[in-house]
Amino acid sequence: MKVLEAQSAVLSNFEVHQHVLQQRERYKKSRHRGPPNYETVVKELSSWLEASPSPMSQKPTPYTLQSIPTLLERLRPYDLSKGEVVMILNLRPANVVALNVIVEDMAGRFDETQQEELVTIITEVLGAFEPAEEAPQENGEGDVAMDDAGQAA
Amino acid sequence: MFILTKFADLVTIEPKDFSKKSIEAIEDNINAKYSNKVIQKIGLCICLYDLLWASEGLIGHGTGMVNVNVEFRMVVFRPFKGETMLGKIRSSTPFGIHLRTEFFDDIFVPYQELPAGAEFNVSEQLWVWNLDENERLYYDNHEMVRFQVIDEEWHDQTPAGPTQAEDAALKTPYKLKGSMAADGLGVCLWWDG
Repeated sequence: MKVLEAQSAVLSNFEVHQHVLQQRERYKKSRHRGPPNYETVVKELSSWLEASPSPMSQKPTPYTLQSIPTLLERLRPYDLSKGEVVMILNLRPANVVALNVIVEDMAGRFDETQQEELVTIITEVLGAFEPAEEAPQENGEGDVAMDDAGQAA
Repeated sequence: MFILTKFADLVTIEPKDFSKKSIEAIEDNINAKYSNKVIQKIGLCICLYDLLWASEGLIGHGTGMVNVNVEFRMVVFRPFKGETMLGKIRSSTPFGIHLRTEFFDDIFVPYQELPAGAEFNVSEQLWVWNLDENERLYYDNHEMVRFQVIDEEWHDQTPAGPTQAEDAALKTPYKLKGSMAADGLGVCLWWDG
């Protein structure tokens, strides 16, 4: 084994998911099974990618092949780094707080209107979850959490 | 979080695999060798992405194996430092919280990296974030959390030779250290609700 290039590209979760799905499809057609270690990791990976609240858990998949170029185009004026855009694709922040953990030094780089604009662009290009019913407050919250965990598992 | 890494390797196809198409035999061979394994300073290999180049198959002396030199790209799990990603709480100890994703189990958030006001509840064996007097938030097991990768740790498992003790426990080859201190990190439900 020789490593020729440690990092030749960065992939977003969406691209990995697409790749895995295509591979599955191909294998299914030829009634082929990969080696056991491969089957395990791919199964686990898909279930993680499709777990809520990852955007990929939404059906039908909110992303298309056009989403990434469109998003890059729309975000160009904001001068985000590549890593930040990949994280936006992977996590799809739906509000300013969620964006805050993705974009470094957000308060210093963008004023409040720009922050709102970023969130709007992300929602427009990548979509969003249907607004959930009001979660019950206080002790009710724990139960909701348990249900979610149960579904995801 | 995922990268592509370019490798060169020698693939040996056994005669029992001759019934497969060459590309399938090569793909299975590569996946069998790399999938779900950690390569030091590269990351956790997931699966073959594409085959870039393959030589003619050569049969060596004395065996029926076909040897093919290949160059290919693998999908590799390797979050960068500062990346925010999703994980699930696996267990909690007074030292911090263990997180996992379905395919990767070794993520640790030490107690220093929890928000101020977090304390360990011994009777329940979980961490609680005391927001104020009456508001307390629990880091329940199996809860989906957002965390930020702040460090990675590598331990080479290559045998050290006869000097190595027989029963020496192997260290996890690849470990991530996370942080949940900033606003927006921690259990997803707190922020999305």
